[in-house]
Amino acid sequence: MNSGPIAEHSLDHEPLLKLEGVGKDYAKLESRGGRLRLVCSLLRGRGAAHVFRALDGVGLELRRGESLGVIGENGAGKSTLLKIVAGVIRPTRGTLHVRGRVGALLELGSGFHPEYSGLANIELASALFGLTADELAARREEIIAFADIGEHIHEPIKHYSSGMVVRLGFAVATALTPDILITDEVLAVGDESFQKKCIAWIERYLAQGGTLLLCSHSMYHIQKLTRHAIWLRDGRLERQGPSAEVAQAYITFNEEKSARGKQPMSLEQAAAAHFYAIQSFELTPGKALPHGADLKLAGEAYSPDGRAPVIMIGVGRVDGTAVYAVATDMDGVLPYRVSENRFAFELTLPRVALLPGKYLLRAHALDPEGVRLFDTVERPLQVTGETRELGFVRLEHRWEMHTSRIRAEMPVE
Amino acid sequence: MRRNVALFRNFFKRELSTRYLGSATGLAWALLHPLVLLAVYYFVFTQIFHAAGFRGSNFLTFVAVALWPWLAAQEGLQRAATVLSGYSGLIRKVAFPHEIVVYASVAATLALQFAGYLAVLLALALFGEPLHFEGLLLAVPLWIVMAIAVTGVALALAALQVFVRDVEHVLMPVLMIVMYLTPILYPRTLVPETVRPWIAANPFAWLVDRLREALLDGRLTPTWNDAAAAVTAVLLLLAGRWLFRRLSPHFEDFI
Repeated sequence: MNSGPIAEHSLDHEPLLKLEGVGKDYAKLESRGGRLRLVCSLLRGRGAAHVFRALDGVGLELRRGESLGVIGENGAGKSTLLKIVAGVIRPTRGTLHVRGRVGALLELGSGFHPEYSGLANIELASALFGLTADELAARREEIIAFADIGEHIHEPIKHYSSGMVVRLGFAVATALTPDILITDEVLAVGDESFQKKCIAWIERYLAQGGTLLLCSHSMYHIQKLTRHAIWLRDGRLERQGPSAEVAQAYITFNEEKSARGKQPMSLEQAAAAHFYAIQSFELTPGKALPHGADLKLAGEAYSPDGRAPVIMIGVGRVDGTAVYAVATDMDGVLPYRVSENRFAFELTLPRVALLPGKYLLRAHALDPEGVRLFDTVERPLQVTGETRELGFVRLEHRWEMHTSRIRAEMPVE
Repeated sequence: MRRNVALFRNFFKRELSTRYLGSATGLAWALLHPLVLLAVYYFVFTQIFHAAGFRGSNFLTFVAVALWPWLAAQEGLQRAATVLSGYSGLIRKVAFPHEIVVYASVAATLALQFAGYLAVLLALALFGEPLHFEGLLLAVPLWIVMAIAVTGVALALAALQVFVRDVEHVLMPVLMIVMYLTPILYPRTLVPETVRPWIAANPFAWLVDRLREALLDGRLTPTWNDAAAAVTAVLLLLAGRWLFRRLSPHFEDFI
């Protein structure tokens, strides 16, 4: 489509978008008269008395040609952030600098009037974006062609399917060639061929130096379309970095969340839920282990269908960083059957190379195919000892030097 | 600015067409409604009450000159009070100055009613009513002053309605009361002496009197009162806009 004004400025390095300590509070109304009181305090230039912090302390920069993914759970503040960037809402705290025209596709059918035909809505959207009648006339055909919804363009939007609304919305947003394009979950709707068309368009837009802010629950889209990503959690920046890394961390977080902190399931619970479950998980010698000593892990797992589950044992730091994990199927072993539905496992880690510190040991129960994770039980482990080495584990090592020479080159104090 | 003008034009068109698009009678209803009202008032006041003393004019002419501006103001306020909710989809998702919606709504209403006003004046003249058409030289500025004041109040009502839904319900009876306290259906001279200062305090009474002086008597000389009214209207607009702008950043959450 249109390459627009994007390419001309590709050399400037001023960020197009800069957020510093941005936060947004929403008023919480507790009582009936709350609305009246809220109006009074807003008129006096004060904020609401009770607020919900939708977003807090978010800082980010986006330069021309960059693409940023926004991920996080529902209610994490993604939409609030995008709305702030799009100018729909003003941040309660912090500063926001935007250079250039922002085109926003916030959710389904944003900015469309349901009673109006597709054509009338194209006109309205263009006026909202700031196009003159001439500019619109030049692009109208392009928009209609991209939306590709045929005669429906003359019908009121309310008769459209959600896919058609998205088609039209995307067609409008793209034809306006904004300096920054914001899309919020729009790729989730629409059929596959249209999705491909959208992705192809976005890729071309990025290649031409366009700037993208993409919010999606699809880690595939995030990794495919954005180079960097931020992960919002409860309104705060949990993590930012290369999108593959952030997406991976987010996926891991979600997997752990679905299993975290559970105590062993009772037999009845597991049977009722038709779950592969960890029923016991013990460490020997116990919660504390001298550095370099042997560690024994043993436990029992429940299998609803009598087939041997895959047991995975993971070692991680308390902050969640994974150190090592191994599963029975990787090593080609099976837990041994104790009774019809119960299986036992035992694992020895000789001369544990973990450096002193706090760790978490996890036992996971997976289905016999080793595909789905059903249950996780955690045990803390304190590795004791004294060392000046850094990191998580001691690697076997050997210095290829004479000790005397090292000493000779040491500065004398 | 260019964008705001384009937006205003778009909203204005939209307001005009949504209003009468869905109804079978279309635009005609805009003119019909005041005419029917006028007929009813005529019947009730002259045939039942046998009211008299309309400054020597025909009752129809006397009321028509004042009724249209009042209906225009009333409809302008009522429409504007609820107009934002019709744009909730836009307000939640798109960045634009929300007040343009109110401007477009008020402008659409007043433009329609003014067209109806001219049509009725013309019709009365054709039936031989002694109207002073040079009075329009004053009547048009008077309408503009009214439009400014109505816009100011409309901005405040529209913004408050987003937060407090009672506004539209309270507005109805309040407007009704104000209408009967304004010398629209009766001349000021029929009002008892003791109440007259209260009636005079009503700015709409001033507007009604001035319109009658201009169109029925052909008296056009501006007075200091006119200037004061214009200043008041502008102050109302500024106050309404101030209130609207204070509240509009929070519309997105409450609309």
